[in-house]
Amino acid sequence: MSVGSDNMPATAPAVSTRPAFVRHAPYFIAAAIVVALAASMQFDGYVLNILMQATTFSIAVFGLSVVLGLCGQINLAQAAFFGFGAYAVGIGTTDLQMNYWLCLVAGCLAALAAGAFLGMSTLRLGGHYLAMVTISFQQIVTLVMINAIWLTHGPDGVSRIGRPALFTTSQGYLAFCVAMLAIVGYLVWHLPDTKLGRAMRAVRDNELAAGVNGIDVFRTKVSAFAICAALGGLAGGLFAGGFAYVSPDQFSFAESIVFLTMSLLGGVASPIGSAIGTGLLILIPEWLRFLKSVPGLYLAIYGLFVILIIRFMPDGIWGFVAAALDKWRTKIKTSPATKTLQLKPAMVGGDIVLEVQGLAKHFGGLKAVDNVDIAVRRGGVHALIGPNGSGKTTTLNVLSGLYKATSGRILLDGVDITTMPPHQRTAAGLGRTFQNIRLFRSMTALENVEIGAERPGNTMIGAGGGAALTERAMEALTFVGLGSRANEPITSFSYGHQRLIEIARALASNPTLLLLDEPAAGLNSTEKLELHELLKRIAAQGLTILIIDHDMTLVSEAAQHITVLNFGRRIADGESMAVLRHPDVVSAYLGSE
Amino acid sequence: MDLVLQLLFTGIGIGAVYALVALGFVLIFRATNVVNFAQGEFSMVAAYLMVVCVEMGLPYWLSFVLALVGMALLGVIFNLGVYYPLRHRTYLPVIIATIGASILLANSVLAIYGPQPQVLQGWFETPGIQLGPVYLDSQYLLIIAVTIALVIFNYWFFEHTMLGKKLQATSQDKEMASLLGISVSTMIMITFIYSAVLGGLAGILVAPILFVSIQMGSTIALKAFAATIIGGFGDVAGAIIGGLALGVIETFGAAYVSVPYKDGFAFLVLVAFLVFRPQGIFGERVAEKA
Amino acid sequence: MALLDIRDLVVRYGEIEALRGVSFSVEQGKVVTLLGANGAGKSTTLRAISGLAKPAAGEILFDGKSIAGLGPEAIVRLGISHVPEGRRVFPGLSVKENIMLGASNRRAPKRQLSDEADAMFDLFPDIRAFSNALGWTLSGGQLQMVAVARGLMAKPRLLLLDEPSLGLAPVIVQAVFRIISEIRRTTTVLLVEQNARMGLSVADYSYVLETGRIVLGGKPDELWGNEAIAAAYLGGHAKAG
Repeated sequence: MSVGSDNMPATAPAVSTRPAFVRHAPYFIAAAIVVALAASMQFDGYVLNILMQATTFSIAVFGLSVVLGLCGQINLAQAAFFGFGAYAVGIGTTDLQMNYWLCLVAGCLAALAAGAFLGMSTLRLGGHYLAMVTISFQQIVTLVMINAIWLTHGPDGVSRIGRPALFTTSQGYLAFCVAMLAIVGYLVWHLPDTKLGRAMRAVRDNELAAGVNGIDVFRTKVSAFAICAALGGLAGGLFAGGFAYVSPDQFSFAESIVFLTMSLLGGVASPIGSAIGTGLLILIPEWLRFLKSVPGLYLAIYGLFVILIIRFMPDGIWGFVAAALDKWRTKIKTSPATKTLQLKPAMVGGDIVLEVQGLAKHFGGLKAVDNVDIAVRRGGVHALIGPNGSGKTTTLNVLSGLYKATSGRILLDGVDITTMPPHQRTAAGLGRTFQNIRLFRSMTALENVEIGAERPGNTMIGAGGGAALTERAMEALTFVGLGSRANEPITSFSYGHQRLIEIARALASNPTLLLLDEPAAGLNSTEKLELHELLKRIAAQGLTILIIDHDMTLVSEAAQHITVLNFGRRIADGESMAVLRHPDVVSAYLGSE
Repeated sequence: MDLVLQLLFTGIGIGAVYALVALGFVLIFRATNVVNFAQGEFSMVAAYLMVVCVEMGLPYWLSFVLALVGMALLGVIFNLGVYYPLRHRTYLPVIIATIGASILLANSVLAIYGPQPQVLQGWFETPGIQLGPVYLDSQYLLIIAVTIALVIFNYWFFEHTMLGKKLQATSQDKEMASLLGISVSTMIMITFIYSAVLGGLAGILVAPILFVSIQMGSTIALKAFAATIIGGFGDVAGAIIGGLALGVIETFGAAYVSVPYKDGFAFLVLVAFLVFRPQGIFGERVAEKA
Repeated sequence: MALLDIRDLVVRYGEIEALRGVSFSVEQGKVVTLLGANGAGKSTTLRAISGLAKPAAGEILFDGKSIAGLGPEAIVRLGISHVPEGRRVFPGLSVKENIMLGASNRRAPKRQLSDEADAMFDLFPDIRAFSNALGWTLSGGQLQMVAVARGLMAKPRLLLLDEPSLGLAPVIVQAVFRIISEIRRTTTVLLVEQNARMGLSVADYSYVLETGRIVLGGKPDELWGNEAIAAAYLGGHAKAG
């Protein structure tokens, strides 16, 4: 989420042939050294406690970097999920005499299940709901911890919590926790470059565009939330083993705020930030112990911190550092793809790719689209035009699933898509661009197009491995003429180029039908000519295009077939030149007397 | 039956407090599209201000006035310090900032005043009156009376004054409001002041019933938020009815199910509404009437 | 001296240059129309005049004084009232309340505003019956009447009207334009229209905008039938610039 700013340092996915474990060997070697140090150095009890706390808290904060940083959703109950893990290990190893590992897994699963349930009940609604529901959940969990004495021992807490047989010494257990930290850190660090991670970032940057590019927005959010909760549970389980004692006040709302502050301070977008934030907020209060002598004072300062960080440093410490480093990093020029982009639109249905029958969309009493028929022939450019407010964009939004049709039927390549959500229509072969460009603004051009290429059902990426994806995306970018700038962030492109990237994103998915929503809007005349050339090259490969635009020169030259709407109704339909000379069309545009 | 009537009375009294805080929530949400997570702390701070003033030996009515003036001031500071600098950002940073403000307020009071809950005397000397089988506590009566008065005032203010109309216009379309010459930033400031005073009033009224504690703010805020969802988010009448309903549900739950989990009922009702009727009781009304 | 004088106005939305050096003027007491296809920059011109868009360069002189850079609240107090595209009638307020709020740029007691709003219904008899209806319940034509009435409540010296015919059926468009020809007796009007025929029919002078520039200007009878007008709307031949 980067809490509202756009200048996220983009990790440049340079195309590399070496396998991941070779490239990341330095990380594992360094991690192994740290684990060995943790196991062998002699710490006194005080230092050991601080390290243990920092290690386990960091894992919980990693969870927040997934849900808040990657997916842009809020979780104010991380301490509750932390508590799930801690109490599972606590109660499990003492009262129930269960195996530590079993308890740890059970704690994670319980947190995961609770997180998934909360997410599923709330994530379809707005962010405010999620914030409030997670706070409420946090309060309930605290209530249960205090009052369900038969289970949790109430305010007394659970003591003499066990550890696994392998790591009975504090030092050994610490080494184990550090190893877990290294593993989880590695996974979270690389999550953004996985399919799920890309989906999360897409959802964070632009939910609408994510759905239209084939991402199941709701499932992605619930996954992020559940992962966050599970990491909280894992961290809590480790914490319980480390300190051998847990009590309700360690998992209160205040602790959730502490986790949040750690995440914001370090930088929500990266596990490095999480670790920095956690380390600082554990060490600083230790240095300033006198603050703890006044109850409330240090939490008050945390509260102030939260306000100041949000206002002045929305990307946190690491975001700040990474942005500075980014300036120094030279821009990696990419070499354009050598192969030409292949468009092989599916051809299942007959001569008609898109058949719209009796389509209507009413908003209350307003009939924005009323009983419209459109038949888009395979392999051509079909234009949908009409004066402002005639219902064109509404039609397009109904076609791509952003609005539900009031009545009527939409068949794409013979498949009825009338009731499908946007991501399923995309899977069925629909690609589209937006009038007001909707790119994923924290990502590079290449990453944007990769998300398009990752469309479920895209037959052009083989098994869908990372290399195939990158190759496909590079071909699409090269096709629109931006192959050499693939690794630049979206924000460094001109408006016209951003339009081209959006088209490349749709092309990479190898759609059956491409919907272009006013692609010429905001372009200067040179860019319009280039766009026209591009449309010709796309059509030459047999991809069917349905275009909305106000530039009649472009429309009349590019489209063979035109449908005209006015007041939500179809007023003309047929071969381009004939339609443009139709008296109803002329008066719709120039006005009637 | 007697018990039921008694519980109903108590429930409505408590629910009236939730309704006042919920009203503050809704007004700020409509004006700024931001849910103010520090709304509950307004109640808490006001209750402490009241305690401080009364302990200084000031008359009860003067303490009351001073506490409300203090809340108006807090509303101004809150707007300038928390909302205004972030007004062009997305909702998430603003939410987080109001949460930060909530933590800051609660713990500043804790640091200054310590963790012991305080006691605030009620307004009246007489503890209450017996009406048939039902005992009417004077403070509960006061709460209900003030809430009724405020609902009427609110209606008059928003429906019959030009200022109220300008506030409504601002919450419906800020750009259009500014084109008509309405000062949008002034309207938002007034909204924050009004909401802080409403929240403060709720805190002062409920203080003699509960203990005055650091936690009272977040407890009340959660209930009030649940109330707005029950009533239909962003709906003024919904907030009031949702608040009253929640007060009654909670009181009966405590009496017939479990006292320690009293605060949990709000959450259960909240989740039930989210799952089965997320638009709330009044959610489907298209009208944006205050 | 012209009431409104615009010189080399440039407005950018981020990367897009919506206006690329627009100059024109509006004489006191006249109706001037800006014509052009969607995206030509007509609405942006009005937004820059009323203070909703900040000019990147150029001058906007109202009554000889520069108003470029002032906020919308200040500009409406100077006497420029903007009736924006899409009517923007407050959906949760009644018709009369909407109209009364039009006077927010000046101080007047509520009773006086109420009387003025009632008087306004003489000019807009079609909406008198809906005085107490909420904004969201009205039809497009009624909304346009309310929006214009609200704009006039500011007692403007210059009224900016953005696409009053948008989405209205021809009969209603004619009703709206009858009202515009009433208004012109007392108020200077700058009208943006996509409906070229109607736009020209009420105008004293018209300008044609294309991709952020003025390409043509003249009296309606000079412009009507000009190929450039048809081209600006319906394409027809490849254009440079």
